[in-house]
Amino acid sequence: MKQFRSMAYPYVAWIAILIILPMLLIIAYAFTVEGTAFFQCQFTLDNFARFFSDAVFFQVLIRSMRTAIITTIVCLLLGYPAAYAISRSGMSSTKLILIITLPTWINMLVRTYAWVGILQDNGLLNSLLGLLHIGPFQFMYTDFAVVLGMVYNFLPFMILEIHTSLSKMDPSYLEAASDLGADHVKAFFKVTLPLSIPGIISGITLVFLPAVSSFFIPKLLGGGQYVLIGNVIESQFLTSGNWSFGSALSLTMVIIIMISMYFTRKLDRNREDEV
Amino acid sequence: MNLKHRIVSLLCAGTLLTGLLSGCGGPGTEFDGTNKSSGNSDTLRLYIWGEYTGDEIIENFEEEYGCRVIMETFDSNEMMYTKLTSGDSYDVLVPSDYMIERLLKENYLQPIDREVITNFDLLDKNVVGLPYDPDNTYSIPYFWGTVGIVYNKNHVDYADLEKEGWNILANPKYENKLYLYDSERDSFMMAFKALGYSMNTDSEEEIHAAYEWLCNINNTMHPVYVTDEIIDNMINGTKDIGIVYSGDAAYILSENPDMGYYCPTQGTNIWSDAMVIPKNAPNPDLANEFLNYVLTYDASYDNTEEVGYTSSNAEVAADVYGEGGIYEGNEAYVPRSGFDKDEVFRDNEYLRQRLSELWIKVKAGSTASNG
Repeated sequence: MKQFRSMAYPYVAWIAILIILPMLLIIAYAFTVEGTAFFQCQFTLDNFARFFSDAVFFQVLIRSMRTAIITTIVCLLLGYPAAYAISRSGMSSTKLILIITLPTWINMLVRTYAWVGILQDNGLLNSLLGLLHIGPFQFMYTDFAVVLGMVYNFLPFMILEIHTSLSKMDPSYLEAASDLGADHVKAFFKVTLPLSIPGIISGITLVFLPAVSSFFIPKLLGGGQYVLIGNVIESQFLTSGNWSFGSALSLTMVIIIMISMYFTRKLDRNREDEV
Repeated sequence: MNLKHRIVSLLCAGTLLTGLLSGCGGPGTEFDGTNKSSGNSDTLRLYIWGEYTGDEIIENFEEEYGCRVIMETFDSNEMMYTKLTSGDSYDVLVPSDYMIERLLKENYLQPIDREVITNFDLLDKNVVGLPYDPDNTYSIPYFWGTVGIVYNKNHVDYADLEKEGWNILANPKYENKLYLYDSERDSFMMAFKALGYSMNTDSEEEIHAAYEWLCNINNTMHPVYVTDEIIDNMINGTKDIGIVYSGDAAYILSENPDMGYYCPTQGTNIWSDAMVIPKNAPNPDLANEFLNYVLTYDASYDNTEEVGYTSSNAEVAADVYGEGGIYEGNEAYVPRSGFDKDEVFRDNEYLRQRLSELWIKVKAGSTASNG
């Protein structure tokens, strides 16, 4: 194996340049005073103090968490049955997976703009409802539009993860369960569901993480008044030019996410211990 | 964690973080050198707002001067500032008034060559000698205008506009019918003007009053904050009132005759965007030629015809607005002059930071008391 070790160098370089270095820069900005040149920086905790002393950032954070949690739950409720059906569909499952992933071939921003056209006051959806003499409704710039946009964009991650764990499952477990007298429902809850939990957990992670930090979906579908933590970070970098505070916010987010990931993992491990 | 999972998360992290690398220099790192990269002598690098040039002006300039123009666009002054200050070099920039003042203060601009700018006298007297550059040593105005209210004449009572001015945004009659421009400067400008203050104030008391004025609208009127989406939506008549830059308003009015444009007598922002040459311009000679070229009748006409913003060339503006012009009688096209409550934005670091802090709070809908 030793001769392969050198093949890892590009990977190490990749990690160093694209992951470690930017992270260090964020940390450096977060703890320094804004407006000084990078190498004569001055240490400060003000950026964090500002975050924790002002209730508005906490409110925004709670709102981001709430939106992300709702998105994750909806994705799970829609994604699990879909993944289950696909994994039970036998031969055609590869084609079905292809269909699920097909929209992700198009840029996410473009797909979100398409929703603007569908949801706006005189858009496609309201025109169709108009034919049935219903509405028009206000869809744009509501919680509904934002959650819909997020679910639409992140659902494929959930389905793929759950499908992977379901399709890896050995069908003989189910045969054994029915030999021992379990009906389909019981077999599902006692065998299939527990075995697919690793898939569910990585699905939740892959949906929750982009949802909690998303900034262009709320901006496009929720309007400028739909402020999530991602939007605050974006505005610190692009309009206020306060990179230090933006970095401090990012870092706080990273820490909160790391803590919640730790507990999710722990939950998974406890469950394995029980089994 | 399986391999696929790992790859996906790596890719996600990678894309998120690469954005940060591009700006290592960071804001505030002052640039004091001159021309670093020796540019090609027949290339002009232009950095300008998106959709801000006429159909033929670039091509014609290239032909006439035997050069190539590389055009990049930005959609906020701040974005332009970030790119310029992290070391990118351009020959001509077209930012707004307050940003020019900031670039000047931070020593990023070089004087223009008035020997070359022979068309200087064609400029409208109203856009010459503005406070951000009193002698026009560094800047040549490109477009200018006001900020005002576009309203649906069938649904909005003109008497309300006249009586209430900016305060119409708090009139319950128009609840759920408002588009506000998602920009702290323009929103606070309305608030300051509605309350009778200067929009360049330093007074914490006045800033706080303006903040409460905006919170009240945010919490009772359910406005939608958008940027350029306002243009299409007002043309479609989706809502009745929108806060719009005059140039966009001229376009809306020309597309939808039900719409009118009103600038409250309480005062508004007289803004202008001007061409400047940064210190690190690789090709300042050609840049000066370009500035002069834009001022010519044909080039200015091409710009204003395509974009709809008011030309800085007085004759062009008069022709476009006058009888037989493309914006004949369009009340949004010609910025008003002679209102002493109208002001030009100044660069004010304290105010800039306060407004950006407070704007998040306004939109996040927190109660006015904890500001």
